[in-house]
Amino acid sequence: MFKIPTKLSLIIIFLPVLAHSQQLSSKKYSINGYVYDTNTKTPLQAATISEVGGSDNAITDKSGKYSLKANQGQMHLRCEYVGYYAIDTTIMVSGNIKVSFRLTPASQNLNEVTINSTATPHAELATLSTSILQGAALDQTRGLSLGDALKSVTGVTTFQTGPSIAKPVIHGLTGSRVLILNNGVALEAQQWGQEHAPEIDPFIANQIEVIKGADGIRYGADAIAGVISVNPKLLPTDTGTMDGEVNAVGMTNSRLGAFSAMFEGALGKKLPGLSYRLQGTFKRSGDVSTPNYLLGNTGLFESDFSAAVQYYHKNYGIEGYYSNFYTKIGIEFGTDVGSYSDLLSRISETVPITTYPFSYFIDRPYQTVDHSTAKIKGFYHITDSSKLEVQYAYQVNTRQEYEELSLSASLAPAIYLQIHTSTVDLNYEHKDGGGFSGSFGATGMNQGNVRLYGYLIPNFVDYDGGAYGIEKYRNGKWLFEAGARYDYRWLRAFAFDANAAKIDVTTTHYSGASTTLGSTYNFTDNLKLSANYSNAFRPPSVNELYIDGVHESLAEFEIGDANLKTEQANDFNLQLNYATHFLNIDLQGYYNHINNFIFEEPTGQFYHSQGGELLEFAYTQGNVNFRGIDLGITVKPLDSLEVISKTSLIYAWNETIHNYQIYTPPLRLQNGVNYHFGNFGPFKNFLIGADDIYVAKQYDVPPGYDFAPPPNAYNLIDAHVGFKLNINKTRADIDIAVNNLTNVAYKDYLDRFRYFADEPGRNIIFRLRVPFEILSNHNNNN
Amino acid sequence: MIKLKHAVYALLGTALFYAGCSSKSEEAVQPNIANETITQASLKFTNQANSADTTSCTYTFLLDNNNNVTGVDSTQLTLKANSKYNCVVYMLDQTQSPVFVVSNEIKQRENYHLFFYQPTPIISAPVISNTSPYIPGTAVTPNLAPLNLSVVRTDLDTNNPPLQVGLTSVFTTGAASSGKLRWVLRHQPNAKNGTYAPGSSDLDVNFVTVIQ
Repeated sequence: MFKIPTKLSLIIIFLPVLAHSQQLSSKKYSINGYVYDTNTKTPLQAATISEVGGSDNAITDKSGKYSLKANQGQMHLRCEYVGYYAIDTTIMVSGNIKVSFRLTPASQNLNEVTINSTATPHAELATLSTSILQGAALDQTRGLSLGDALKSVTGVTTFQTGPSIAKPVIHGLTGSRVLILNNGVALEAQQWGQEHAPEIDPFIANQIEVIKGADGIRYGADAIAGVISVNPKLLPTDTGTMDGEVNAVGMTNSRLGAFSAMFEGALGKKLPGLSYRLQGTFKRSGDVSTPNYLLGNTGLFESDFSAAVQYYHKNYGIEGYYSNFYTKIGIEFGTDVGSYSDLLSRISETVPITTYPFSYFIDRPYQTVDHSTAKIKGFYHITDSSKLEVQYAYQVNTRQEYEELSLSASLAPAIYLQIHTSTVDLNYEHKDGGGFSGSFGATGMNQGNVRLYGYLIPNFVDYDGGAYGIEKYRNGKWLFEAGARYDYRWLRAFAFDANAAKIDVTTTHYSGASTTLGSTYNFTDNLKLSANYSNAFRPPSVNELYIDGVHESLAEFEIGDANLKTEQANDFNLQLNYATHFLNIDLQGYYNHINNFIFEEPTGQFYHSQGGELLEFAYTQGNVNFRGIDLGITVKPLDSLEVISKTSLIYAWNETIHNYQIYTPPLRLQNGVNYHFGNFGPFKNFLIGADDIYVAKQYDVPPGYDFAPPPNAYNLIDAHVGFKLNINKTRADIDIAVNNLTNVAYKDYLDRFRYFADEPGRNIIFRLRVPFEILSNHNNNN
Repeated sequence: MIKLKHAVYALLGTALFYAGCSSKSEEAVQPNIANETITQASLKFTNQANSADTTSCTYTFLLDNNNNVTGVDSTQLTLKANSKYNCVVYMLDQTQSPVFVVSNEIKQRENYHLFFYQPTPIISAPVISNTSPYIPGTAVTPNLAPLNLSVVRTDLDTNNPPLQVGLTSVFTTGAASSGKLRWVLRHQPNAKNGTYAPGSSDLDVNFVTVIQ
């Protein structure tokens, strides 16, 4: 008698809860932002933001603010206001996202689209610091290499070998400790080499995401310093459209010319859901000049191509992608030293004693690299709130290094390395009503390396497997996340025994667990604090284990250690974000303690080669800690004025040698100002800006590890002017920048060629971008 | 159910993937081929006064299979006092088959190469010019008995103006003495100007030298 009503009441209580949770799971995220007039920057009240094909819409309030709920996945948004051109855009939603629109009055014949998005589009870990380079900031790096493009991100710098080879450094770590993703595929090349730059065409990207901190959970071993994700624009979904874009870059220093073109479109009614993109880049530059002399043989040639095709249908989709990157890079004459005494005399000369006339010709020594990536990815939305993704990728990287030949007429390279990598990734994502969300997955990799000609590293075969799970819980102002991962690596090396003239087969196994724990507290809408602890590992790379030979331009004889253990990183991060319309502060503090950190130590012995003596360096392990602060402040006292200040400070200590860690980036300060003039007759969105970059001298260096003391501090001034022009209804974005305006002669601590020469002098850069429409969908013309 | 089905697909896919990539090419290890190396370097001397009076000194590099130097072997140079010798360079790469005569290749590329011959000890700094075979920066030791030896290069390359090479030279000995002869081959592509500084060293060895 009693029990039935109880049960009923329970059901009655539960029903609304269930209904509520259903609603939460289908419209989980909020999209908000502002709508402005692009010229006057005034907020527009009562503008409509609607989901195309959906029922949701929002209207801006007095301050131009709107808010929408959204599903995970692609979302097609349209922003409209009477008397203004409407904006259509497709965004990817996987978290709360801020999208602001700037509308252009219809009276001006300008189809201006500027989307400001400050979001973390697919951050697997919300509590790790993520910086995104996109929009105008990314456009201002067009023509630069990937490494150089990322220098504007706090905590990121480059490790260079001359002006044309730059590897990104995150929080003081580089090489195989930084994972680079090319459209979702982990770049597998010969990353271990100091003079091996990432094989990625930055023109592919419309967004480069940098995760600063150990992110081993999602990406496995190797991501112990961070992840750089190069993301192309999402393929268009507007049926029956075809668009193109042409980019051209010219630089006075090195007389660089770069040209990139892209076509993309979505098929019409016959096959809706199918879209495609073709993109190609061609780049050529000659000898780079420093303020006082030319650097002989520093030319570069690059040609890249990529193609993507995608098909979406209701709840599933499939995507194919292919990219090829080819480059030929000249290595500065005179840097191919044969002995320690040669290197010391080069250092004492301080400037190249032989100068060369300008040339585009690339002579020995040079390197060529060809990298191809093919991937196929499918996804399936099992329910509204869960999704399964499978990705398979195959990469081939062929690197050939040609040395200066003295005694032979050989046409062969000194070193030839070809690495084949297959990867498979499986990822399942879910969100349920109660604030929980997460992903689970498994990854597999097979790698084979083949070498020819000179010996540096052995052939090897490698099988990797990993499984992971990450869970997030949101409750009110709190976000909690935790994750764990297990990885296993089987590595078999086929080394040619130097003494016994036989093949030594060595098989090693590495395994390790990665964990992460993080939390974010939102004090207000504008202020949040996040803390994250991540544990990640990295097995020794094949060069650290088995290298045995002369490092061409460093007068080093390197000796590997086959008994090295895995590196284990314990990374603590604390970050504070404050964002209002006038002030934006990003502050990150980190402490990354790496056990069994692998580094090279001088043995104090000399190796006697034919050309003289070389210093011997052997790989060894120790405990190293990295501590630092990244601070970014943006102040907007006026809508048209922006003052930006960026500080990167890092301190690294090697506990094992009781001294500083070599090649730690010195303090870097970047202060800039941008002023938006608005329109000047035919010049629209006229912008003028200047930056001051100060890099301190690195005093914290271990004695006896380097050939020369660190160079002095330097201060550079960059300036740029940008505007848009309308020529025959075609919009052209033009940007003219001057780097190193005052033509300062300087050397950078993290450039290995500082022993030989100065860094590049003044460089005037012209950038032109012309987006155009080939086919339009007439529904959108208003 | 749907999850189980997908898990099965995933497992199948992974298994296929691993089956598909069992490649064998990595195991067929290619031999190490260096483009160039020097395994033996000799100086051959003929007394100008008596062509039957010949002598030589040889420096040998012992290489492992990775072409790294594991040991060296050098012979002593013995010359007669107060004599003039014609000297010829002879260098080999014995890792190649047939044995590659490196000195012939240097003759082909003479515009990029320059030999230096520095007797030690010396009691005063040598005159450095673009025709001097002596090495700048050589330590001067006024308290040690010097090696009484002077060297003049006798061949020219085809640069304009022509510069010396040093594949052939004349050694002039003085009173009986002993010391060392440092022999350096500089490789100076697009940079040769007759001096030591440009380029890098292809060969840098010392012979124990006795003048008697």
